[in-house]
Amino acid sequence: MPTTLLADAVSTTGLTKSFGDRTVVDHLDLSIPSGSVCGFVGPNGAGKTTTIRMLLGLIRPTEGAGTVLGGDLHDPSSYLSRVGALIEAPAFYPQLSGRDNLRALATLGQIRPGVIGGVLERVGLGERSGDRYRNFSLGMKQRLGIAAALLAAPDLLVLDEPTNGLDPAGILEMRELIRSLADDGITVFISSHLLSEIEFICDHLVMIRSGRSVFQGRVTDLRESQGSDIVVRPERDEQCGELAAVLQGAGYLADIDDDHHSVVVRCGSDRAADVNRVAMGAGIALTHLAVRERSLEEAFFALTGTHTGEDRQTATLGEIG
Amino acid sequence: MILAAYRSEWIKLRRPTLLYGTYAGLATAASLFAVLMFSQANNQPSGPGGLPNLADLAKPNGLVHGLNRAVILLGVVAFGLAAAQIAGEYGLGTLRQLLVRQPRRPVLLAGKYLAVITFMVGAVLFASVVAMGVSLVLAQARHIPTAAWFSSTGISDLTRALLDLVLAVVGYATLGTAVGLFLRSSVFAVVAGFAWLLAIEGVIGRVLGSANAWLPGTLLETIGQGGAATVSFTHALIISLIYLVALGIATTVVFARKDVTA
Repeated sequence: MPTTLLADAVSTTGLTKSFGDRTVVDHLDLSIPSGSVCGFVGPNGAGKTTTIRMLLGLIRPTEGAGTVLGGDLHDPSSYLSRVGALIEAPAFYPQLSGRDNLRALATLGQIRPGVIGGVLERVGLGERSGDRYRNFSLGMKQRLGIAAALLAAPDLLVLDEPTNGLDPAGILEMRELIRSLADDGITVFISSHLLSEIEFICDHLVMIRSGRSVFQGRVTDLRESQGSDIVVRPERDEQCGELAAVLQGAGYLADIDDDHHSVVVRCGSDRAADVNRVAMGAGIALTHLAVRERSLEEAFFALTGTHTGEDRQTATLGEIG
Repeated sequence: MILAAYRSEWIKLRRPTLLYGTYAGLATAASLFAVLMFSQANNQPSGPGGLPNLADLAKPNGLVHGLNRAVILLGVVAFGLAAAQIAGEYGLGTLRQLLVRQPRRPVLLAGKYLAVITFMVGAVLFASVVAMGVSLVLAQARHIPTAAWFSSTGISDLTRALLDLVLAVVGYATLGTAVGLFLRSSVFAVVAGFAWLLAIEGVIGRVLGSANAWLPGTLLETIGQGGAATVSFTHALIISLIYLVALGIATTVVFARKDVTA
């Protein structure tokens, strides 16, 4: 993955989209470095898909300006020939074969038909490309969507929920595919509600809420800004309550962990020795003391303010996936 | 670029079930009209709007009668196909893929439209040729002389009839494209179009006779038949052209400006 980033592949200023009196994307300033794999996350209805559609010329911005691969956002024909996209669920003609579906798109985009075989091989559909699309499994449909996005040998790949509906093996394959594309120098802008996927794949991140950016930058920067916790485990489980109380008495923010075997102390790793000393002073022997980085999920909830409900459930399922 | 959009659309149109199905279906239907005419023809004088008699069929325009009667069928198929082709892109969600590869929307629309027009014109000409072949065989069976069909007048009448038919089919396909784009649902567009063309216009025309001169479906049918007793060919052609140009502009503007959220 490139470490030196030359310019922004996507840059927007004040990008806004309103449908009637409802503002879906609200003065969004995006900055996606060239060569990065940039995650795009936010709760349901945050404006992710609308933003992606504006970048692809499918939806006209209400206001704002921007560039995509150096082309004017308001003139999509100036840059879309170098962009590949998978927008929401893959959409193809059910009666045509996978190969003919790609042929229709390649012909439309004036792309050499010779590239079709290559992209089909790359996504692992070489042998099944003659089958009708309607007979494809969900994973095959998703892979054909990626193949369609790769037809134009893009410099920017926009993927909206690329792992939707894939089984764990399919997710792993998709992850490897995206990594290999990034290794080729393609900028990948990937929207996903699977935070674990974003964590695995992306080096940059854009988080939005209610159409506004709440974080943009490196994933590592986000983690560092979120800090870390110290997790301590007493010798006996029933000592958790006493240990939490002792630590709180010493000025720490401490709670019994969800597993009821440990206590989580909200402080930096430099306080580990003091935490141990406080426990020892109270006569509680520790069997475990570890620094735990706060997860992207916690950062997500903190920044987007979604602690309950559907979004939390979705993100938690994402961690399992 | 329009050529690329045109060729891309043909990859869809040339799939065997659609291509052979439409061509064979229309040829069969047009041939059935010929069978109906030749089997029912007798020596009785033909009334206005009725089936031609044996003497009528022996005239230079004898071949044209069957084509005239097939206009509404061919028109409805052209309408349905055009509406389904454009509305289907919304229903399937494929429009967003197409617009990423061809963001100049009028170019995409023009290519798709021309492909559908070519497809339907091909189907009409094929059906006409088959129906004429069937007519020749039936004429022999009914001992109807066909020499006049191949006279210069006969060839001229036939050419004119085919041209009128093609014009009408282009008009129906334009209507279908517009309705499909505005309604964005294949089923809804086809059902609404069929209901309008096959039923509602008929009712309006019966209740308000003068409306026939202004109803789009009736005007296109009149063009396809080379004129009618109540509406002249020229009037039908001019009013239809005005309708279709206005509709074409409106369709292109809507397609170019409307957000794609499907």
